[in-house]
Amino acid sequence: MTLLDTELAPGAEPARKVPLRGRQTWRRLRADRPAMAGLAIVASMIVVALAAPLLCALEGQDPTTFHSGLLDSARGGVPHGAFGGMSGDHWLGVEPGTGRDVFARVVHGARVSLAVALGATVLELLVGIAIGLGAGLGGRRADAVLSRLIELSLAFPPFLLALALMAIVPQSVPRPLLLACVLTAVNWGSVARVTRNQAMALRGRDHVAAARLSGARPARIAVREILPGLAAPLLVLAALKVPANMISEAGLSFLGAGVRPPTPSWGQMLSTATTWFRTDPAYVIIPGALLFTTLLACTLLADGVRRAVDPRWNGRS
Amino acid sequence: MRMRPTVLLGAVLLAAASGTVACSGSGSGSASSAFDPQNCQGGTLTVLNQGGLNEFDPARLYTSGGGALPTLVYRTLTTRQRVPGEPGTRPVPDLATDLGTPSDNARTWKYTLKDGLKFSDGTPITAADVKYGIERSFSPDLPGGAPYLHDWLIGGADYKGPYTGGELKSIETPDARTIIFRLRRPHGDFPYLATATQFAPVPRAKDTGVKYKNAPVSSGPYTVEKYEQGRKLILARNPHWSRAVDTQRLACPDRIEVTSGLDKTVINQRLVSGTGADAKAITTDTTVGPEQLARLDGDRRLAGRVARGVFGETKYLAFDPTRKPFDDVRVRQAFAYAINRQSVVNAVGGTALASPATTFLPEDKAFGHRPHDHFPAGAAGNPAKARELLAQAGHPNGLTAELTFPNTDAGGYGPKVAAAVQDALKQAGITVRQQPLGEEDYRTITGKPATQPPLTLQSWGADWPAGGPFLIPIFDGRQILRDGGNFNLAQLDDPAVNREIDAISRLTDLDRAAPRWGALDAEIAKKALLVPLYHPRTVVLYGKDVKNAYIDRWRGWYDVSMVSVR
Repeated sequence: MTLLDTELAPGAEPARKVPLRGRQTWRRLRADRPAMAGLAIVASMIVVALAAPLLCALEGQDPTTFHSGLLDSARGGVPHGAFGGMSGDHWLGVEPGTGRDVFARVVHGARVSLAVALGATVLELLVGIAIGLGAGLGGRRADAVLSRLIELSLAFPPFLLALALMAIVPQSVPRPLLLACVLTAVNWGSVARVTRNQAMALRGRDHVAAARLSGARPARIAVREILPGLAAPLLVLAALKVPANMISEAGLSFLGAGVRPPTPSWGQMLSTATTWFRTDPAYVIIPGALLFTTLLACTLLADGVRRAVDPRWNGRS
Repeated sequence: MRMRPTVLLGAVLLAAASGTVACSGSGSGSASSAFDPQNCQGGTLTVLNQGGLNEFDPARLYTSGGGALPTLVYRTLTTRQRVPGEPGTRPVPDLATDLGTPSDNARTWKYTLKDGLKFSDGTPITAADVKYGIERSFSPDLPGGAPYLHDWLIGGADYKGPYTGGELKSIETPDARTIIFRLRRPHGDFPYLATATQFAPVPRAKDTGVKYKNAPVSSGPYTVEKYEQGRKLILARNPHWSRAVDTQRLACPDRIEVTSGLDKTVINQRLVSGTGADAKAITTDTTVGPEQLARLDGDRRLAGRVARGVFGETKYLAFDPTRKPFDDVRVRQAFAYAINRQSVVNAVGGTALASPATTFLPEDKAFGHRPHDHFPAGAAGNPAKARELLAQAGHPNGLTAELTFPNTDAGGYGPKVAAAVQDALKQAGITVRQQPLGEEDYRTITGKPATQPPLTLQSWGADWPAGGPFLIPIFDGRQILRDGGNFNLAQLDDPAVNREIDAISRLTDLDRAAPRWGALDAEIAKKALLVPLYHPRTVVLYGKDVKNAYIDRWRGWYDVSMVSVR
């Protein structure tokens, strides 16, 4: 996540005065083939995640039932048969050691992955915009305080902080919600900074001055005059945040700080797979490939959005 | 003891296999000559471990039969017999001339020390040193050893060790070579207890209290050259030890270097590749993982470097029958019927590393094991029968239970086993909520009846290969410890059971005692106070230049005192 953040931050920071024009942007995006491929993949992932119970019913399996009979117990519990025990009953085979259905687990894992990634992104935007607007429009003193706060949040190593936060919160808090909140807590800084800088740049514009002179209250100015001008950079930022959050979730689950078993998650599956990668390669390839494809698709889409919003962007900011 | 103690322990099944595995060729050319005990000395043995070096004070070590590494430094009154196969479950004299002379109905045990015994500093070992070593283990500053001495010796319960409490009168040393123990009750298996490191001599003049572990005075074949807690132990030869005064230990390597704190996968990968010093490496606490198990099928060279055995140990599901809904025997029986041992075994690495258990006693004659299965669940559970019992008990729509377990899989009864149990019970309409606890808290919380959760995953291992230390702490009504350290989780206090335990304890003929322990186990099992899940097995690799790595049947692991790297 840090990687994507730092890559983006300098590009979005110098306030580009590009208003978001919906129809035009969509047209440009549609002409962008890699972005459209990314969009198609992301959309189908969302459909799969939403339809997970339906797909499992179609396959006739669920993500938690053990099938110990399908495992070769004498060889440590690897699935019988080729490719991790793929069959008509178990489309992507079964999990080594437990015999749980891999297809059911990956489609349910997609729910966790996407819900946490999207949820954290939305929360980060809300928190970041609120603090960023406060800093950008709230006067010198508010700016001084909030900007230091933003810098403080950006200075922390986000992953370590997230690990620590996940560890101290009681186990009774629902884990996906907690993950989204923790990722927000460590990642809102970049949104706030972009918002603040954009707001600073927009605040001197004529239409803002006109609104102020006509007696509009600050809140109204922020929402009606400043926010629309923020849409373009924030859209790009959000598009890049989604894959960053997804990989953070996978990382935290991989390290055992994410969702709790038996709730399936891709990161957790990859973590289990580390002891099986030689004897049951299918089990590491499936969640790995899914995570890779989804991340690639999100990133392609995000790049496309950035190009569509600002055609002059040449890839080096 | 119960859990795997500081140093890994064991007791075996496949004695025949281990004998042949022992010398089977390494294939690496240099060391392909057969093992010759008369000509095995030399070289440096490397030991690669995950844990186990947190303590090295003989008072604080909790070992079975003297342990893997402590027995190289500390000799004890008796010790395990260093031979493959069934005789390996027997104690033999070590510092003493015999296994002890019982009198007064096995309430008094008298030992005589061998002639010519010396510490590593050249001073002679006396009965007073043995007595002092035992007394130290009563000090509150040096906790951690097996609890038996406190319970068995007259005055042991109140004695606080030699630093503040003077001497313990129930241990008498009439002369330099004689030591007499006076016990509160008859204990026919005292010679087994005397294998523990608490029975190692400690010279009072050299005792530095809690710092003694850094530079202990050795009575065994090696001295401690360097000890770093939790990380490193280097052993070098003790010049005052020879095979003339010790018939049990071969002590082949000149030097032994133990590294602890390694990752399981790393240890196995290093043993498999065996480059450099790793060719002469073993491990005393790490079994193979699934990756190596799968390779053993096709790789005959690797298969020749594997030792297999069993340590007497049982992983089980424990109820608190004083709490609802487990006060109803039909509910407990329903759980027993519902359990799917096949999935539990798979969760811990498959049939090579675990065998399904229906008896609490391990499957070895030494424990008096008698096969029984009062609630036959078959390989994969009998959820229909379980539902029927639940309905009779007034739970026609199933019930919800909270399962508490340690949050790591290291002990073999953590999250993976809990998930398998959860799934099996789900088939019978029982909804299980998982409640993982940190390992530190786990012992404290489950060891106190007031805080004990109603349903927990547990483990019990053999302090010595006999039925007594397996059944007494778990089922003896007088062993319910309200203040903590309790293992009688069922809080069973049945006069008939207590009477039979006392009757068997009185026997000094252990071949007669064994079948009675087995019968008692089968009888108690009818009460469904716990559900045995599996008995772990040892499958362990050793380096390609390592010889005579046979599995001893007492500890279920190869005996480091017999291994050669020449």
